[in-house]
Amino acid sequence: MTETLPRTRRQTNPPAARKLVGQSMPRKEDLALLTGTARFIDDIRLPGMLYAKILRSSTAHARLNRVDTSKALQQPGVHAALCGQDLLGKVKPWGDMMQDLLVGDHFPFATDKIMYEGQEIAAVVADTKYQALDALEVIEVDYDQLPVLVDPEKAISPDAPVIQEGISYEFGDGNIFDRYRVRVGDIEETERGADLVVRQRFTSNRQAGAALDPHGCVASYDSFTGNLTIYSSTQSIFMVRDILADTLQIPRNRVRVIVPDVGAGFGSKAQMFAHEVIASVLSMQLGRPVHLVLGRGEIFRAGTCRTGQVRYAELFLKRDGRITGYRDYVVHNCGAMSLWGNQVIHIGTNVGMLPYPIPNVHVDADIVHTNTAPAGPLRGFGIPQMIFAKEQLVDVAAEQLGIDPLELRARNVVRPETFPYRTPMGQVIDSTSIYDCLHKCGEAIDWERKRAERVPYEGVGLGVSMKYTSCRHPSFDTDLSAVRLRLETDGTVTIFSSDVSHGQSHATFLAQVVGDVLGVGFEKVNLAQPDSATSPFGLGTFASRAAAVLGTACRQAAERLREKVVTIAAHVLEASPEDLETGNDRVYVRGLPDSGLYLENLASYAAYRTHQLPPGFEPTLESVATYDTPTEREAPDGSGNLSVTYSSAAHAAHVRVDPDTGRVTVVDYAMAHDTGVVINPLVVEGQHQGGFLMGIGMALGEDYVYDEDGHLLSASFKDYQAPYATELPELTKIYEIPAPSLTIPGGQKGAGESGAGPVPAAIANAVYDATGVRFTALPITPERMLLALKEKERQGVDTLRFPDDMPDFTGPRTHQEWPEPTASDEGDILL
Amino acid sequence: MKAFTFLAPEALDEAVALLDRHGRDARPIAGGQSLLLAMKDRIARPSVLVSLAGLADLRGWRYSPSGELEIGAATTYAALISAQFGGWHGEISAVAADLADRPVRTMGTIGGALCQADPRFDMPALAVGLGASVDTASAGGARTIPAAELFAASGGTVLGPGEILTTVRFPTLGAFSGVAFEKFRQRVFDAAVVSAVCGLRLDADARVADARIVLGAVAQAPVIAQRTGRQMTGRTLTEHDIAELGAAAMEEVLPVSQAMSSFHRYQRELVGVLVRRAITRALDQARS
Ligand SMILES: Cc1cc2nc3c(=O)[nH]c(=O)nc-3n(C[C@H](O)[C@H](O)[C@H](O)COP(=O)(O)OP(=O)(O)OC[C@H]3O[C@@H](n4cnc5c(N)ncnc54)[C@H](O)[C@@H]3O)c2cc1C
Repeated sequence: MTETLPRTRRQTNPPAARKLVGQSMPRKEDLALLTGTARFIDDIRLPGMLYAKILRSSTAHARLNRVDTSKALQQPGVHAALCGQDLLGKVKPWGDMMQDLLVGDHFPFATDKIMYEGQEIAAVVADTKYQALDALEVIEVDYDQLPVLVDPEKAISPDAPVIQEGISYEFGDGNIFDRYRVRVGDIEETERGADLVVRQRFTSNRQAGAALDPHGCVASYDSFTGNLTIYSSTQSIFMVRDILADTLQIPRNRVRVIVPDVGAGFGSKAQMFAHEVIASVLSMQLGRPVHLVLGRGEIFRAGTCRTGQVRYAELFLKRDGRITGYRDYVVHNCGAMSLWGNQVIHIGTNVGMLPYPIPNVHVDADIVHTNTAPAGPLRGFGIPQMIFAKEQLVDVAAEQLGIDPLELRARNVVRPETFPYRTPMGQVIDSTSIYDCLHKCGEAIDWERKRAERVPYEGVGLGVSMKYTSCRHPSFDTDLSAVRLRLETDGTVTIFSSDVSHGQSHATFLAQVVGDVLGVGFEKVNLAQPDSATSPFGLGTFASRAAAVLGTACRQAAERLREKVVTIAAHVLEASPEDLETGNDRVYVRGLPDSGLYLENLASYAAYRTHQLPPGFEPTLESVATYDTPTEREAPDGSGNLSVTYSSAAHAAHVRVDPDTGRVTVVDYAMAHDTGVVINPLVVEGQHQGGFLMGIGMALGEDYVYDEDGHLLSASFKDYQAPYATELPELTKIYEIPAPSLTIPGGQKGAGESGAGPVPAAIANAVYDATGVRFTALPITPERMLLALKEKERQGVDTLRFPDDMPDFTGPRTHQEWPEPTASDEGDILL
Repeated sequence: MKAFTFLAPEALDEAVALLDRHGRDARPIAGGQSLLLAMKDRIARPSVLVSLAGLADLRGWRYSPSGELEIGAATTYAALISAQFGGWHGEISAVAADLADRPVRTMGTIGGALCQADPRFDMPALAVGLGASVDTASAGGARTIPAAELFAASGGTVLGPGEILTTVRFPTLGAFSGVAFEKFRQRVFDAAVVSAVCGLRLDADARVADARIVLGAVAQAPVIAQRTGRQMTGRTLTEHDIAELGAAAMEEVLPVSQAMSSFHRYQRELVGVLVRRAITRALDQARS
């Protein structure tokens, strides 16, 4: 089948003058951050504010018999207490919207069952947070312990106790709450025709967002107006507003969500949480503002983390190194409840196939609940997990075929003759420089020399990936952001947007976009705080969507505003609009940049001297634009172009392993990216640096370590092995090879997640090169590394897969052994 | 954290009396770097804190007439780092300089670390390894306890309620010809996964006259590897010997039968590595 894809034309011709886009403008956000004046959620103080605290479960699975808050109510300073029974029938469960469930599986508190350690049991509100904590201690909880499921593969066994009782899933049963399938091409035929099949079981770790700014909110209900205002540290104000209003069953125009400065999210704040409902209910009961900010242990246990995966992955190749197929059975661990978890496997798998246009793909995934922390989106949205498995298989294959790993990748990365190009998985690649990125990072790490001149216990490895830029989530059907601009009466511009900046520098890069289109000075553009009462509707900030989607909405709003000021100027100057240009804070006749009318004057005509306006001109200098990406819905076979454009990442790691202690040190690292047109190089480099930090954490240390009773043993920054600055190599080899997006009018692509995706794979491949140990599990801690070296020594082998060496494989080894689909799958609309 | 009363005495006897008066509800506080964290998590709930920061006697260091190094219990890591100790006593400064982070080193004290008795902390293993002893004061009187007896095998210290650790004494420079402290931690600010101390004295023929090997973090209290230490004496150690001593320490401290979990097997390997490193460095020092 051939398909003619529409060639999208660039829609704008930005002025030739010195442009702001492309320059490392100093970040507008930094002054407040560096001087400590930024105001985060815990800094919010409202008159009459009370403090709430949550009692959380210390057990991971139990029948909850009774919660008695009566003694807490007697404690000094206590105003109210709540538990699950108090809210039954009064607030609506949520989670149905994102998960395509008939009813929601989330509730502010456990009611009859505890499903994970840290789940909400009760809450108290008092004059001070210490009084609230004191009162929590006297709440009586009666429960009967149930057997705990930590291991996702045990959770799918038919005799495993069911965690989420009373919910009937459309596509799942037992602890499998959803399933995912990809059927692209013909995998059986591919297997018959393959010259080489490489396969391995891989497991990947759970990782925390670990945003320094905690999750929390201050809810303030005005009993006079009936309006609920909630300040929240969130990535999406409208997601919070819509779901909160629905949960509380009040009109959405009665809920106002405002964000203070948000000190990062990384995906971990991309939903509404129980604490937001609890604070709201308490504030509505008492008519006073209620502060509820979570502690670090609470965030580890009840915030969301990266989904864990077990993969039985297989890669099919021809002798010349062509990748012809990929097959995988995935057990996808979403914890006890999860809003976004099932979406992670869809997008992570679809986009995770890149940068290889693999013609035959066959994936089955069981999406499961365990008695562990809720899992969901985290920087990379399933892609780092997928890349860790797939890129290691590529290295395994390269070795067996006797082809250099860089060369094998070069032969396979998507490199069409013409763009846009549709891959068999359905992605429409509108531009990419992945081939050049691969060679660039190889060159920068000195690949050939380091591969040839062996140093004991040192090695190099590669990882390549492509990242979605925004996404049409399969459970939704939308991918939009919006901007409203107002030219103020002094010629300054205010940007209104609901997409929260939590490290993406919206105030800076949007000002660059507006400045270029409107000709207004960078310093004259200000971003208003996201506020659902005043900002246009948008989805929020996640999925590397800010620059491309919000940036495009902003560009279009600026173009609309420009048209208005040019119309007024043309009328006043008695010139033709085509002869006018904008720049230097004014509108002028082409070639005469020092003449013309200041934006300040033009704005004042629209506000205070409306007789100067052209006849019939509506006196407003506001414009609004919404950009919904031209992405597709996921097809029943799992294919589809879910993302508007794709950014590329090629990473090369050089590691040294200490054979005495097992410490893996990254001694050199090179990353080459295609982020399309880079609006602000400083900001983009910051994103890559931060992405690398999270990648190295996932590779070498971070994990949710549970004991068999489901207690999280790594629930503090003391125990959770997130890297410090001291553990990072100095990153100097960061390169951009821009292939401007043809779909996004400004040519930009997502930057936020490219830095993270390939890191675990590149490091794991380098560790193999250094030691002969192929890690099949993350993270590669010093403990695992050293024990692997000892095991290799004991066995007297040159290479070892660790901890899962294929001969000892216990799970399904080939697809014939994959678990049979259950009855509920028959006639499944996905097949 | 629960509400508490903060008392700041200016003399040791005053502090002893306050602790005595308030009984079990009271706790001494030195740098607060362990205690405040425990209070924040409500694991510790003292209603009275008696600060040792204002007690001049408990701060600073000096050499006793017999040449022992006496360090006041409330001396901070920062003060230890900038102290100009002679000979092998310099290792104490080096250990203080390479633990925790700057704020903790500015506030945390040597006595606090010993009383906290966290097996993963550095000072307990160092004090036992180098044969230190401690002086204490309480309403019941004063006593001196060898560091090796300060730590209870099941964790914690043998100090009674209201007993204040006043001085940590390290033996004279003549006690050792070389000492070394080695540890492994995952991140630079983490506490040790295993630590090892070697103190040894050479005789005129460069043979080991006596030696101590102590391991930290492998049990609830620092562990003296007595057999390994004895094995060293009377010998001129070669590189090969040192490797064997490392292996001997592994067997002595964490025999295979006790190293069942992956973590303990890892610790066992580290014991071998760190003991080797500690002996090598102590020998280098002694020979130079
Ligand atoms: C982030 C961090 C990292 C750390 N890393 C390390 C590390 O790598 N290695 C390491 O060794 N340590 C480490 N520590 C611990 C550090 O050494 C602590 O400062 C020390 O253990 C406690 O000393 P303190 O003076 O702060 O004691 P405090 O916290 O004031 O007291 C600790 C305990 O000892 C009691 N106490 C204190 N002084 C006396 C006394 N004179 N007499 C009787 N009782 C007393 C107190 O009542 C309390 O029970 C770390 C701490 C932190 C916070």
